[in-house]
Amino acid sequence: MSTALAAALQYFGRFGVDESLIRTALSAALARGGDRADVYFQHRVAHSLGLEDGAVNRAWSGIELGVGIRVLRGDQTGYGYTEDLSPESVRQAALTAAAIADGPARDRPIPQLVVTAIPQRYPAKTPWDKVAAATRLPLLQRVQERAHAADPRVQKVTVHFSDEEGAVLMVDSDGRVAFDEQPMTLIHLSCMAEENGRRESNGGNIAGRAGLEFYTDAKLDKLVKDAVDRTTILFEAGQPPAGEMPVVLGAGSSGILLHEAIGHGLEADFNRKGVSIYADKLGKSIAAPFVTVVDDATNEGARGAINIDDEGNAAGVTTLIHDGVLQTYLHDSISARHYGVAPTGNGRRESFRHAPLPRMRSTYMLPGPHTPEEIIASVERGIYCGNFANGQVQIGAGDFTFYVKNGWLIENGKLTRPIKDVNLIGNGPKVLEQIDMVGNDLKIDDGGWTCGKDGQSVPVSQGMPTTRVRAMTVGGRG
Amino acid sequence: MLDIAGKVVERAQVHGAQQAAASAYQVREVSVQWRDGAVEKLTEATTRGVGVELYVDGRYASVSTSDLRPEALDTFLADAVAMTRALAEDPFRSLPDPHLYTGQASVDLQLADPHYANLTAVQRRDLAQQLEVAARNTTDGARILSVTTSVSDSQSQAWRVHSDGFAGEKAGTSYWLGAEVSVQDPDGRRPEDACYAGGRWRGDVPDPQGIGEEATRRTLSRLGSQKPASGQMTLLVDARAAGRMVSSLLGGLSASGWQQKRSFLEGKLGQAIGNNLLDITDDPLVVRGLGSRRFDGEGMASHAMPLFADGVMQNGFIDTYYGKKLQMAPTTGRMSNLRWRLGDKDRAALLQDVGDGILVTGFLGGNANGTTGDFSWGIQGFAIRGGQVAEPIGEANISGNHLTLWPSLLAVGDDPYRYSALGTPTLVFGGVNVAGK
Repeated sequence: MSTALAAALQYFGRFGVDESLIRTALSAALARGGDRADVYFQHRVAHSLGLEDGAVNRAWSGIELGVGIRVLRGDQTGYGYTEDLSPESVRQAALTAAAIADGPARDRPIPQLVVTAIPQRYPAKTPWDKVAAATRLPLLQRVQERAHAADPRVQKVTVHFSDEEGAVLMVDSDGRVAFDEQPMTLIHLSCMAEENGRRESNGGNIAGRAGLEFYTDAKLDKLVKDAVDRTTILFEAGQPPAGEMPVVLGAGSSGILLHEAIGHGLEADFNRKGVSIYADKLGKSIAAPFVTVVDDATNEGARGAINIDDEGNAAGVTTLIHDGVLQTYLHDSISARHYGVAPTGNGRRESFRHAPLPRMRSTYMLPGPHTPEEIIASVERGIYCGNFANGQVQIGAGDFTFYVKNGWLIENGKLTRPIKDVNLIGNGPKVLEQIDMVGNDLKIDDGGWTCGKDGQSVPVSQGMPTTRVRAMTVGGRG
Repeated sequence: MLDIAGKVVERAQVHGAQQAAASAYQVREVSVQWRDGAVEKLTEATTRGVGVELYVDGRYASVSTSDLRPEALDTFLADAVAMTRALAEDPFRSLPDPHLYTGQASVDLQLADPHYANLTAVQRRDLAQQLEVAARNTTDGARILSVTTSVSDSQSQAWRVHSDGFAGEKAGTSYWLGAEVSVQDPDGRRPEDACYAGGRWRGDVPDPQGIGEEATRRTLSRLGSQKPASGQMTLLVDARAAGRMVSSLLGGLSASGWQQKRSFLEGKLGQAIGNNLLDITDDPLVVRGLGSRRFDGEGMASHAMPLFADGVMQNGFIDTYYGKKLQMAPTTGRMSNLRWRLGDKDRAALLQDVGDGILVTGFLGGNANGTTGDFSWGIQGFAIRGGQVAEPIGEANISGNHLTLWPSLLAVGDDPYRYSALGTPTLVFGGVNVAGK
């Protein structure tokens, strides 16, 4: 066995995983004539802590261990998984997945296992298994104390902290082996403030693939300031008027617009099936020439970063829109084969319990020619969106929404009064066409974004320069 | 697996927990996804794990693992107890008052179909195919871009054991059929819609024919949808869609929100939240109900509980912990099935009553502020003109506040939606802010 292979198999060795178990699984997976198969071993240890009413007095932790086995025949997938890594249980799960094909086994031995070298985009300097619970507690307490100190109107503070580490080991029937260790951490601060008998609540969170070193003083102070400011400004905020108006998206988490308006629609499974509104738009101009959008796996330490995708394919920067022209879909290996192109490293999954799907990583728009000041000054009457709660899209009809938690009314080129709690709705291709100014201030948001698709959640990032959309429907009142 | 739950409680106590409660589960899940004439994806697995709540020296933690090898489990519990000791004390944490375990209803809830094992792989495949055939059975078939259907079923068992003597077992089965259809709109859009139906017993699941046809009918009805004008309008929300608004209202009934002062319903027990048409009971004892149970997640015996009676808020979802913090008697922490006081009109009659307005058939995104009750949601549906369903509308939002929405409830239909534990009937609201053009 090569040194690289021994190193890749070492982590899961303590759970009884060795080359013989892997070969047993892959052979069983192909026992009924499937074209290809892969196994995905996963071990994940997650801890979280909660602070409520002044004390860190609750904790959760979870261990996940298991293997998922996938068999492919053309575009078709058979999938089985088990938490029991004994050879018999793994073989049974593989035979279950094998049932997608119904012929005799092909005489095709699994070749020699070769380890894929991968980049190191998120080495944890202080890994979580080296951090005692008692070391984490003061982080939460500090955030709480500073939130109370920042504004006397803050009456209740909750802090939720989580960290996760673990590893995945992927081996496919071509003998490709990939091993990756995947840390993650997140802290969420939520504030409830009172003023003259009125209550408002809001919060903020930051997340990344990192160890304890992630939590610098500067980061935590900014988290506190943002969360408290976003809460207390709600006392002055109202709902904007209803209807179509120009919308300015602030730099950072406004990338949610890209995620919903175009990102999902470019996931190749939807296009392979012909159900995406973008299914016939490849190579066409769909936005202004200063609009370039990428989906990037390489942002070091970002929540949406990956070293390799969950099928063992290399993951880099994928340009979706270049100078306004649609370049490519986001592919997993099924869709890449379907279209006869190289995979883009977007095959991702929530855990060993799920087959991979084309998914986003960190999606953002590159900087454009305008300054944020001139963009705001250009709007006579519209809204400015600061931060967001959630979004959703209809892949085929193209309608998408995002929920603005904080923003401003723009009147005569100036931010005049704060707004809150308003849903925005638009149609993906129409909104892309209507992006008519892009700022030079790209910011990738470090929030704890999670994307849901087909019952699977995966961590993502998003970013945006300040951007103007000529018109969207704002769900205000009156 | 019952052994594992008992063993985990025992070992947790050996490692130093004064009290512990463990839940072990095992779930078999099978699904067939079918697309355009062939199987797209087959998934089959049996998944299992154990979770345990630990009470150690006045401190609390909740942990879970799927690594059930005995030595791994024991190390895991030892680590978990040690982690719990690092926390601050919390005087409000404890197992429930054991009196609340007693009095479980004797009714047979029939949550598990005894014939579950009879469903074969070939039958699942046939059902998936029949769903597609039904979806394509339309004179407008040329517009269909793709049909994806699904057949999924599960069989679950769970065992719960507490250190104070509580032991309970739950078993259930479920079957779901679904069809999703995409069609080509001449304007370039590719609208999609779907129909899903299911139940706890195979015999309760409707025929694939109706599900496939309904998915296509709904999708074709979306062709040419337009943004409506903005304004205040009467809204008729169909039974299938209305659950979204109701679950948002119910978010305000959670005791954690009351105690943390992040609930628009905090302090409003005994007050009118809606007009007298708002009348909902949480009923955990519905035979074959999707949310039915004889005991809740804490082992407390389940009973029907009025939530709103004639518009007045009667109860909230109070678990043991927040009950102690609020000095209120616990009810249950979680919703089961909703039983509505139904109206006597069907949707067609309600459309007549509305005259002109908007029929909402689905929501898209949006959210609500749980502290203030403000909401803003994307909608799609149809214009209502002269009591008839007219042209399709989309790309619109509705906004308002729960505290003014429910007093403007004009009518409740006679048609509770069968395929959700929320069981929502058609709801009609007056004067809702719609944002479109």
